[in-house]
Amino acid sequence: MRKFGLHFGLILACVVVLLPPLWALRTSFVPESMSYSTEILPAFTLDNYTGLFEKNRFGTFYVNSLIVALGSVILALPFAACTGYAFARFRTGGRFARFAVLATQMLPPVALVLPAFAILRGAGLTNSLPGLILVYSALNLPFLTWILMGFFEGVPADMEGAAMTDGATAWGAFWRIVIPVSLPGLAAAGVLGFILSWNEFLFALVLSGPQTATIPVSLAALQTSNGVQIAKVSAGVVLAILPLVIASRFIQRFIIQGLTFGGVK
Amino acid sequence: MASIELDRVSKLYANGAYGVRDVNLQIEDGEFVIFLGPSGCGKSTTLRMIAGLESISSGDLRIGGRSVNGVAPRDRNVAVVFQSYALYPHMSVWHNMAFGLKMRGVPLAEIDTKVAKAADMLGLNHLLQRKPGALSGGQRQRVALGRAIVREPEAFLLDEPLSNLDAQLRAEMRLELVKLHRRLGRTIVHVTHDQVEAMTMGDRICIMKDGRMIQSGRPLDVYANPADTFVARFLATPPMNLVPAHLEHEGEALVVSIDAATRITVPRQHYLPYVHKAGGPITVGIRAEDIYETQQRPEWQKITVKVVAIEALGAENVLIGLLGRDKPIEIQARLGRHFFAPVDSMVDLYVDVEPMHLFDAETGKAVARPPLPVGR
Repeated sequence: MRKFGLHFGLILACVVVLLPPLWALRTSFVPESMSYSTEILPAFTLDNYTGLFEKNRFGTFYVNSLIVALGSVILALPFAACTGYAFARFRTGGRFARFAVLATQMLPPVALVLPAFAILRGAGLTNSLPGLILVYSALNLPFLTWILMGFFEGVPADMEGAAMTDGATAWGAFWRIVIPVSLPGLAAAGVLGFILSWNEFLFALVLSGPQTATIPVSLAALQTSNGVQIAKVSAGVVLAILPLVIASRFIQRFIIQGLTFGGVK
Repeated sequence: MASIELDRVSKLYANGAYGVRDVNLQIEDGEFVIFLGPSGCGKSTTLRMIAGLESISSGDLRIGGRSVNGVAPRDRNVAVVFQSYALYPHMSVWHNMAFGLKMRGVPLAEIDTKVAKAADMLGLNHLLQRKPGALSGGQRQRVALGRAIVREPEAFLLDEPLSNLDAQLRAEMRLELVKLHRRLGRTIVHVTHDQVEAMTMGDRICIMKDGRMIQSGRPLDVYANPADTFVARFLATPPMNLVPAHLEHEGEALVVSIDAATRITVPRQHYLPYVHKAGGPITVGIRAEDIYETQQRPEWQKITVKVVAIEALGAENVLIGLLGRDKPIEIQARLGRHFFAPVDSMVDLYVDVEPMHLFDAETGKAVARPPLPVGR
């Protein structure tokens, strides 16, 4: 009976969590005129998807999002790896520096968006993908640093000691031993950074323009004076979620691998 | 030449605590030296300073006569085998062993030959393609050794390499290491807290406590002539029995008086070195194996002990008993395997007094006397 109650509760929780995305999936295949119907599938159409790409330049925004999310991760990850390693191994800056890095994540994004705009305008990088990449890298850096610090702390220091007596420099030990051993951690951090950048709305809204908008901004634009094109929005949401679902599969594997990898004793 | 000299070497941490303090030691080329001590005594830190993995706060460290205080680990030509083995988990056994040679730019053909030779020596041939995760503890230990051997370093630094192995494997590897030392003839510094390893493996043991080196010497010499009560207790299982007593004159002899009924006469040949302590408190040290259930020599002296427990170990029985009436002190005696006595009974035992030690009651330092000959 207790087991039944537990399962019932878990199923209920799954329904609550899954219902909105499932309903969005359903709505994305329903004509706009029937999108608010309560029927499960009153009619089937792919118009919402084709319309998104043909009329709303969704392809461009999709590519923009990919470039910005991937670019920011590629730019931020090496810095985060070096910083995280310095914190983990050399205790650089002590507890204060660790906390300071975490504290930057506690600021409300809206407090940073105007300074970011001012800086990018000064550099002539507003309404540009490199500008967004730079900002997202900066925003992700503390978070990625913190995650990687945890992974590096799990790598036995003796391994680097062994590499250094084997003939490697400190940098060589980091590059040849610590980085390969921490690959699952780097992958997990990379995927999390990608998701953060992919979903970001506020900075993209303020800093991008008509050519450089990302998916969240383009979806918001479907909220027009004629009303919300909910079926198209749903199609956009489904397409936006897709890479994240795939990424989640990876990150799950990597995080588990990351947690069980280091223990060679 | 890979002699290692430590000249007043210290390690001072940022919080003001000393990890290692004023260690002086001269390790000869080809010598097998054991650093022995309890956890936190500074033995691993000293080893890591020799390896270059820990900075030296003061003093001078010389390897092969060359001062290496500021020299990077890779330029010291020493190899370290860690307690955790520290194998590279993403590399195969072959790559683990080849890593050091690759770092030094050795040609691939030569690497292959050297790895094959070391693998052959350690019985690792069939494991070369495996990753460390797929090896047993003993195999990992061999790979860690192989990784060190293949580089042909001037000295091997072993940081408790046997402590993760089970008892049987540990005994086997002890012997393997001794054989390896004979075959390679290189300097080995071996850190351990296991006194069996210390007694059986090295040419010399150095006992450390609280960051200081308390005593160093040939294992049996140190065992027979401990410098203080710490060494006396640490270097034996069961530890040496230490009993508070009073040293008194009795006629022309010296007597250790534990209480009114328990008095042990000091052997005549030790009268002179001990006489200056007469009339004061003293700690008497008697090893568990110097106590017997029968009197086999006339000079052995009787003590009466109340039995607390008897641990039958198969080859011998260890008696745990209380000595003295006023303030009973727990002592242990290694007796024959046929010895038996009921708990709480009083038994007469006989002490071989010649190897008996006297220690200063306050400082714990051994009262100096001519060293006991080893293997008498």
